[in-house]
Order: sequence, then C-alpha cells, then structure tokens
Amino acid sequence: MTSVVRRAVQRSAMFVAALALVAVIWETYKALGPEEGGQLLGIRILPRTSEYAMPHVWDMFSRFGRPEVRGSARTVFDAVLAGAWYSFRLSVAGFVFGAVIGVGLAVLMARFKWVQRGVLPYLVVSQTVPLIALAPLIVSWGGKLEIGAFVWPRWMSVSVLGAFLAFFPIAVGTLRGLAAASAASVELMQSYAASWTKTLFKLRFPTAVPYMVPAFRLGASASVIGVVVAEISTGLRGGIGRLIIEYAREATGDPAKVYTAIFGAAALGLVMAGAVVAVDVVVMRNRPKEAVV
Amino acid sequence: MTAVSVRNVSKVFNQGKPNQVDALSNVALDVKQGEFVSLIGPSGCGKSTLLRLVANLLEPTSGEVTVNGKTAAQARLDQDYGMAFQQAGLFDWRTVRKNIELPLELKGWDKQQRSARADEMLQLVQLPEFGDHYPWQLSGGMQQRIAIARALAAHPPLLLMDEPFGALDEMTREYMQGELLRICAATGTTVVFVTHSIPEAVYLSNRVVVMSPRPGRITKVVDVSLGGERNEDTRNRTAFFEAITAVREGLRGMHATHVGLGNDDR
Amino acid sequence: MTIHRLTMLLGKVVPAILFGALFLGVWEWAVMFFELKPYFLTAPSSIWQQFTTNFALIRGAATVSGTNALVGLVAGTVLGVAMSFVLSRFGFLNQLITPLAVALNAIPIFVLVAVLNNMYSITSEIPRRIMVTLVVYFIVLVNVARGLTQVSPTHVELMRSYAASDVAILRKVRIPNAVPFLFTSLKIAAPAAVITAFVSEYFGGSQNGLGSRISSNIANSKNAAAWAYVLAACLLGLLFYTVSVAMESLNRKGGVKQ
Repeated sequence: MTSVVRRAVQRSAMFVAALALVAVIWETYKALGPEEGGQLLGIRILPRTSEYAMPHVWDMFSRFGRPEVRGSARTVFDAVLAGAWYSFRLSVAGFVFGAVIGVGLAVLMARFKWVQRGVLPYLVVSQTVPLIALAPLIVSWGGKLEIGAFVWPRWMSVSVLGAFLAFFPIAVGTLRGLAAASAASVELMQSYAASWTKTLFKLRFPTAVPYMVPAFRLGASASVIGVVVAEISTGLRGGIGRLIIEYAREATGDPAKVYTAIFGAAALGLVMAGAVVAVDVVVMRNRPKEAVV
Repeated sequence: MTAVSVRNVSKVFNQGKPNQVDALSNVALDVKQGEFVSLIGPSGCGKSTLLRLVANLLEPTSGEVTVNGKTAAQARLDQDYGMAFQQAGLFDWRTVRKNIELPLELKGWDKQQRSARADEMLQLVQLPEFGDHYPWQLSGGMQQRIAIARALAAHPPLLLMDEPFGALDEMTREYMQGELLRICAATGTTVVFVTHSIPEAVYLSNRVVVMSPRPGRITKVVDVSLGGERNEDTRNRTAFFEAITAVREGLRGMHATHVGLGNDDR
Repeated sequence: MTIHRLTMLLGKVVPAILFGALFLGVWEWAVMFFELKPYFLTAPSSIWQQFTTNFALIRGAATVSGTNALVGLVAGTVLGVAMSFVLSRFGFLNQLITPLAVALNAIPIFVLVAVLNNMYSITSEIPRRIMVTLVVYFIVLVNVARGLTQVSPTHVELMRSYAASDVAILRKVRIPNAVPFLFTSLKIAAPAAVITAFVSEYFGGSQNGLGSRISSNIANSKNAAAWAYVLAACLLGLLFYTVSVAMESLNRKGGVKQ
C-alpha cells in the first residue's frame, strides 16, 4: 500500500513542479515580451504583456485574500469557494443522474440485442459531435417549463446538461464491460442454470467494473464541463461559470480577479476527478493489477 | 445405473449455410456410474462439442442425451453435474471460498451451509489455508484445484472436464492427475474428461474413447485395465505403455487414412 | 458480396436506421399532437426548413468555427508530435508532463479563453485557436509519446544487436510504432477541437461562429433557427471525425492491420 501512496505523492509533487515551471515561463515572457503584443512570422500571435493583459503570478494568488468588491467583507477566496462548491453540487447531481441512466441503458442494450443495434451507433457517434451545442437549448427550458405545480428550476437545466454529457461515455463503457465476460464464465453460469438477471449481478457487473471505472472518470469530467458551460449560457448565479464571466468583465480594472475564478474551476475539476479515483481505488482494491485498455 | 447415455446424436452447426460444420455424426456412448471416461482426438473431432451436449450447453441436431436418468436439460436445471474448463475460470473479485460457494448460492443454500461445504471442499483438495485468498494470488495448479472444488461443491454425481490441465506444466499436470483420481475415488463421481494427451487419458480412465473429425465420430473405444491401484509407479508399468500404444494406434489409424501422410514408421 | 454477407451487413445497419427514423417520427408527431411551443421543443420539419433557408448564413458561421478548429488541430498536432520527440529523447521530462496532462484532462480547461480574450484584440480569433491548440496538443502529445516509448523490448534488443544508433532505432522502430497512436489521437482530437472551438465562443469576443449564433438565436427566442445551427454544429463535428477516420484507414492500407 505504501508504494501506491509513494507514487501518488511523487505524482503530485511533479504536478506542482510542472505548474511552477509554467509560472516561470509566464513571468519570463511577461518580462521580455512586447507590451502591446506583436507578431511572430507575420501572424499577430504574441499576447500583450501589460499589467491588464497579463498580471503577475503572485498578484493572482494575493487577490484571493482581498475583498471581492471594494468595501465588501467577503474575500475573493470566499466567493470563489462558494461558487466552486455550488457548481460541484450541480456536477455531482448531473453525474449521478447521467450514471443511473447510462448504466440502465447499457443493461437494456446488453439484454436486448435489437436495442443495442438500434441505439449504440448513435451513442458512439454522439461522442464525436459537439453535444455542448445543445447547451443553450436545454438551458432555455429553465424557468419557462411548468408541469402542474412544479416549476422547472434554472439550476436543474444546468445539472441536466451535465447529466446529458456524462451519460454517453458511461453508457458505452458500461456496455463494453458487460459484454466482456469470458465465454467460459458465461458457460459456467449456464451450467448452473442461472437466470439472465442472476448472471448479470454475479458475473457481468463484477466483470464490467474495470471498464466502468474509466467510463465514470470521463463521465465525471464531462459533467463538470456541461455544468460550467450551462452556467455560462444561462448566466445562472451562484456557480463558478458565472463568476468567471463576471470577473472577466471586470478585468480592465481588476485583472488578477478572473484568474482566481479560473483556479476555482480547476480545483472543481480536480476534486471531482479525485473523488472518482478514490472510489476507483476502493472498488478495485482486491483485484489483480492489470490494465484495461 | 447408466450415468450418461448418448444415443444416435448428431450436431450440425450453420445448417444449410456455406460454413456448415458436421461436428458430430451418429455418436453413441454409455457411461456407467462411477466410471472415468476420456474423450481424445485431434482438433475438430467433436470431443468438446460432445461434452457440451452432455452439459446441455448445446442442443443436439438429432438424437438423445440422457444424464442421470433425465433429459440433459433437466439434469442441468437440477445441477446434476459440475464442470471444469482449461482456464480455471475463477472469479477475480471473489475470495477462493466465495468462488467455491458460487453454485451453492445459486441453489439458494444459506450462509452456514455454504460455509460448511466450502470448508469441506477445501479440505478435499488440500488447500484449507487459502480460503480467504484471491485467485490471482494462487498458482495455476492451485487454481485448478479450486475449480475442481467448485465443480464438486454441490456433490453432483457427474463431473465434466474440458482439458482442465492443459495450461499446466508437465510436473504439475502429473501431480494433478493423481489428485483428481484421489478425489474421485473419495466421492465416487462419474467423470467424462476431454484431453489432448494420450498418457493423461490412459492414466486417468477406465475407458478411452478415440474420436476423429470430418465428420466427428467415435472410431475406437479402448478398455484400460492397469491392474490395481493407480499411483506414481503406474506410469512405469508395461500395461500402461500397452494401453498408450493401443490408443495411439486408434488415433493414427484414422490419421493416416484421412490425411494420407503415410509416416507410420515413426 | 454473397447474399449471406449482405444480409449480415443489413442486419447491422437497418435497426439503427429504423430507430433513427422512429425517433424523428415520434418527435415530429409529439410536437404536433401536444402543440408544443417552439421554446420547449421544435419540430424536425421546422428545423430543416430553417436550415435550408438560412444555409448561406449557417455555412458562413460554420466556416468560422471550423477554421478555428482546423487551425488549432493542425497547430496542436504539429506541436504535440514535436514535443513527443523531445519527451522520448529526454525520458525524465515524462515525469513532469504526464501528471500535468492527466490533471488537465479533469479540468474544464476552456475557461482559460476568458483570460486569453483579454490578451488579444476583441475581434481576434486567436484566443479560440490557441485554446484548441492547447487541447489538441496534450491529446496528441500523450498518445504519440506513448507510441514512441512503448516499443517492444524485443525489437530494441534486435536493433542493438545490429549496433544501430539511437537515431536509427528512432527511425526504424519507434516512429513506425507511433504512427497508429498518432491516428488514434487524431480521432479523439478532431471532435475535441470542434467542441473546444464552440465552447470558446461562449466567453465573448468575436461573434461570428456557430456557438455565438446559437446563443444569440436563443436569446431572441428564435429556437428553430438555433436548432438549425445546432444541426450544423453536429455535422461539422461529424465531418472532422470522419476525415480523421478516413486518414487512419488510408494509413492502414499501407501497413500492418492493427
């Protein structure tokens, strides 16, 4: 167990080192680069290095500690944390919903070959198509849709988009896993005259777990992307997406602030991924260490 | 009492299509209670197909298969046999003990009964300390012993085995053969055993059924009497070599006829 | 093609077509029967009508987004491949780059567009292209680097027994091994490039691309038009993916079947 911990620590240290390197490159360019931007090989590709366009790295960090708005008691750190936490909850909701539907559809496709043949091609193609283009449409339902006494809250559209994006990789990965049981194992279960459902729970699902794990990882990051994009599309208050847009608008006067929100979004993604990895480690702890491609 | 009865059984795959295969043609075989019968033959002779027909994992195109006095289908539903394959096929995510308990879970036994039976089987295959290990922590030979323990967990009267020792090295193989005979003597189980290896078939069986392909059929049945108890010495006895020769000739006879090699004086 | 193989092929394709047709049919019927307002759900027929009517505009917007995606795709691939050679030469850099790439996979990286927009003029498409380049770069880098380094030890041993130089090993063993990895990464990177190009448009800046058009149409309650742009977006993504698959199969014709 210690070797796993050691490797994780090593990886994190390397990650921090890589970030430090990026910061060094940033500051170097800022010190040496043209103030108003410039051209490289005839293309206007070099960014501006003014205080407004490229704040110092340390300014970005110190901005966390100072108040969000002049005169306000709330620090930027509090604001960003609150925004990230809000978006995190929406991402989790989207992920769970997408996972339930995705796994359910995968089981349906595993059980009924004709469903699989009809639906799977679309699922596969959907991963090449920018579903994110649907974001504004799904989001536009929010607030306008009423079913009886239930009014569709805006935040639900945001979660739905997260679920929508998460659902596809989860469905495809789970189906692959369910189909991965060896022919001999299936024959074994047949020799026990086990029903399809029993075979599903005692053989196919456990076999599918190593395939579901990377699919869930993809689904988690897809959910975060969906939620952030949906927040930006709607302008839903409270989330990190909205904060990024707001702070970006204030960049003329307060250039470092938008970076704090970006760090918040990055933290959101990392925490979500970390949660899935943690579950992954727990679920796979008794399995042999082999890679599933 | 006849444990297994195969009457006029044929099996055709992809009937009528360009890739039709006559896997078995008019095969008949009777296996007595407590007997150890091996099926041997080159690839495509239908030995695995025949085994799967007995296991009711396939339906015959024509003919009848009776197991334990019932139809093969009913025997499967009643779990009257246990099955072991070349890959031990243990479930990675279950402990050794839980693997053995799998057929018992499906039969609806309660926790205590399952646990007691699993302990008994672990003793039988002489691996009592490994109950809480995971399969990938065990060697190939040990995994096969657990697979056998699982196959016999519900004390079925019949054991079907498809080249279970094929993936093991020669020394482990010979050891496992001895173990299998010991276990079967202790439980009185009838065994139908598919193998590629002539010495293995002869060492283990009361009868060796030689099969040939295109179409799959039985060409010869060799009675093996090695006189007395079988142990490590048995492999040195004249009767052993004579039986091997008989089986080899059965295989060769059909081999030379069908492939036309003519290299009989090897 | 024999009848047998033809029926097998149809068996695979027909259910999908039937399902798609059924889906569209039910959609159209539901809008009609329930008299659904456009802001909730638009009928496929109106979408198609908008698509054909506005085709010139749609094509223009698609070209803008598509060009951004393409430029980023090419730039990212070139940079990714170049960097992967560096990584294969200086193995220790791998330790640095891999955790970074893994972490970036989890982060909604496109939010960087917000700051990129501040670094360039407001009408510039450069921020989006940089964003796409960045996303594609990491995808290609990780895959091609793997292809260059994860070669069969037997092959390397063989080359060393011929006293081959490192460069020769690179040319004769590593690069051929890496080529399928390159095409695999393109299959992932191409749709990712299109998606990133869109999403970048939601952060302000030039309003000429498909993404911005979708948002503005929704804001003006022109849902049918918005759906038409969505359709164009899907077609664009499909186009990029199909081209990358075609390139992969062209490559396969020459070499070993993977």
